Amino acid sequence: MKGKVGVLLAMVVLFGVIASGCIGSQETSETKTTSAELTGDFVKDVLAIGKALESNGVNEVKFSAWGSGDPNSVMRVYGIVEAARRINKVWEENGVNVKITITDTHYVASFQDAYQEYLSKQPLGQAGDFFVNSYAFLPTLADEGYILDITEYANAYKNVIDDFYSSLIEASKFKGKLYGLPQDTEARPLYIRKDVAAKIGFNLEGIEEKVKNGEFTWGDVSYWAKKAKESGVEWGLIHRKGSAHPDLIQFIFAFGGKLYDEDSGKLVVDVPAIYKWLYVEWKFVQDGLLPKDIMSWDWAKQIHPAIVEGRTLFDIGGTWYWTEWQTKEYYGKEGTPRPLKPEEVQAWFAYTLFPAGEKGLKPVTLSQPFIWMINSKAGQQNPKYDELEDLYHKLAFLMVIKASDPDINAIHSVISAHLPVRKEAAKLISDEKWLNDLKNLNLDLDPQVKTNIKDIVATTVHPINAKFLADVSYMLEYTKLAPAHPKYPALADIFKEAVDKVLRGEMTPEEGVNYIIQKVNADPELAQNVEIVGEIPKDWKFP
Amino acid sequence: MKGEKLRNLSFFLSPMIIMVGLFYLIPLIFTIYISFTKMRNWNIERYLTEVVGLYNYQRLFHMFQHDPLMRTVLLTTVVFVGITLIINVFGGLLLALGTFFVNESSASTIRLLWLLPRMSPIAVYSLVWYYFFHGSDIGTLNSILMKLGVLSQPIPWGQIVPWGAWSVIIFVNGLVGVSFGMIVFTSALNQIPKELVIAARVDGASAWQISRRILIPMMKWHFLYVLTWQFLSLLTTYPHLFLLVQWDLVSRDYGTTLALYVYNTAFGRGEQDQGLAAAAAVLLSIIGILGGFVTLKVLQFEKMIHEPRGDIE
Repeated sequence: MKGKVGVLLAMVVLFGVIASGCIGSQETSETKTTSAELTGDFVKDVLAIGKALESNGVNEVKFSAWGSGDPNSVMRVYGIVEAARRINKVWEENGVNVKITITDTHYVASFQDAYQEYLSKQPLGQAGDFFVNSYAFLPTLADEGYILDITEYANAYKNVIDDFYSSLIEASKFKGKLYGLPQDTEARPLYIRKDVAAKIGFNLEGIEEKVKNGEFTWGDVSYWAKKAKESGVEWGLIHRKGSAHPDLIQFIFAFGGKLYDEDSGKLVVDVPAIYKWLYVEWKFVQDGLLPKDIMSWDWAKQIHPAIVEGRTLFDIGGTWYWTEWQTKEYYGKEGTPRPLKPEEVQAWFAYTLFPAGEKGLKPVTLSQPFIWMINSKAGQQNPKYDELEDLYHKLAFLMVIKASDPDINAIHSVISAHLPVRKEAAKLISDEKWLNDLKNLNLDLDPQVKTNIKDIVATTVHPINAKFLADVSYMLEYTKLAPAHPKYPALADIFKEAVDKVLRGEMTPEEGVNYIIQKVNADPELAQNVEIVGEIPKDWKFP
Repeated sequence: MKGEKLRNLSFFLSPMIIMVGLFYLIPLIFTIYISFTKMRNWNIERYLTEVVGLYNYQRLFHMFQHDPLMRTVLLTTVVFVGITLIINVFGGLLLALGTFFVNESSASTIRLLWLLPRMSPIAVYSLVWYYFFHGSDIGTLNSILMKLGVLSQPIPWGQIVPWGAWSVIIFVNGLVGVSFGMIVFTSALNQIPKELVIAARVDGASAWQISRRILIPMMKWHFLYVLTWQFLSLLTTYPHLFLLVQWDLVSRDYGTTLALYVYNTAFGRGEQDQGLAAAAAVLLSIIGILGGFVTLKVLQFEKMIHEPRGDIE
């Protein structure tokens, strides 16, 4: 009897072991289907994720794309639409019954508004799955856990990552971790009116080189601006306004200053450089070369018309101006305002780096890369999100990888006059055949994408514009970035207020500097994050 | 008997008590709580339980002491609320009285015209004034004055500090607010028995005498209501100001009131500091409560709600 009981017990135990083994193996198989390892082979990874989704009964994956910017930059959302089509095609060709649907392409003009909307809706789970915005907001979004850390995913795609310009990849990082992929960037050239220059005997031959080697400085800009004014031209210099468009901080870099201290991780108020910046602007206004109320000028009715109608010799602008002038009706000299033709833009404008502040210093430009970021809740509108989160996140990452395809990036660059972020895309821009295909929309693109870029392509795709992009690409070697620090926007606002007051004559440059210091110290939290270095230089002369 | 009275009172008052609790009291308590936390960037999960004591208040008072803008914000709030309130209340009263003495069809047209600013979308309405007061020759006002030869150079109206900026924000908001007083006072005037006015007319009273001796004294309640309501509205309004400042039409320093400061701090660009904004909002609420209390005291609200003494002692 005892023996029988022993055998029975042994059988029960054996059954238990086998059963637990079976259950265990079932668990293992489920684990396999709810995640997928990224290998760096795009098709293989897409298929693995597709099959895993299919095995979980998911046949449709819904994503939304949020973007913002000028009217010509719509590829910031349609790039995602196109990526979805390309992935769907892979699945279809390989018999995987899953489809990505982009439910919403939300595109607004103001990137600050887009950021505010994302910030307020992300915690509620109502923000877009893909979000293109300035790198300047990345630290805050990363710090709050609102965007996905893609460092590990990106390790598998080193070959793609290495094709991006490294400075732009650095701009996509926060505390050493990668939180997005660059989508575009730009440079901010100093535009010079060729017709005005010819009128005052300003020889522009070799000007690019002279600026590059620091021979032509802001003293020379002032000299020629005065000449232009004396010849009857309304202004010597026009520049952009506002703190969101941080063009003017180029002066800080051009005078050898800095805005951020890598060692302390703090923002820097570089007193000598800021004083020189404010002094130069103040002097331009005193000499009647720059409007004292430029910071409240209207973009469409004052700033752009003054430039395109040749009412200034110099303009501190951006590369995207080049096509913006061809699509917006700013030129009103002949009566009804109209856009410029590519030939006119080429004939009227020369472009250089932002000149060095004074002899012995270097020229600069400023970039504000836009980054493709992935919502940390990406895919949440889909079934079994909690279970399949890893698959949805990896799929979202692969979509961003696909949206960064050289041709998609090159299309965006050509039609919006932003600079490509990948070397392969830069090569495409110089390819005449490809440009022709783009002009005729003879490319393998989603019909929705074609429809939405058709008009922009018709007005902007032109060899002159492609040449312009190729010509200004070298500027990225000189580029500086505004600090990606959560407190930088507050400091930028203070800079804007100070410049405005100095330009209007409410403050001298010295008072402007003291105002900045006072404002920084007035907020204890800002003061903790900012170092004030140096003193107002004595006996400094300009020009 | 007492219990029954209490039950009846509870029954009739409960909807209002629930509404006040839900929409006024709880948000106020929540605002006070947030002002003691490190809440920022809408990150409720992370910061809502991170209590920092009086940190936000200390920071706010430090800024009041050292940031010239903060003092300007307070001054602008006082001037903006004070002058706009006078325009809103007395402008509304004047319009109501004015239209009371003209025929009904003209009165309706005038009232409708004054309602337009209230009916227009805020962005459109603000844009109209943006182009009207623009500080260059593209501004309508400058353009007209230059064509008439009154000006040789355009004037940056909203950038002349402080009075240029204050005048623009007061003008734009004043026009919106006048219609509210106008409607309340008009409906009050329509409730006054016509016999009183007719009798006064028969006695040879002028429109001014009728207004001063009969109509205005009979609208004390309405006057008190419009005054208190508009005071609190102006203290907390910011949309028009936000746009005018954002578009650089008016000086940021002298176009920012405390309400706009709260909005910009909580939901502005870059880091959104909702803890600090809540502390400033609590301050704004205290000012509102004190101001409302003073208004009621000055206009002898208590006397108005006293039970009538009756004729027999």
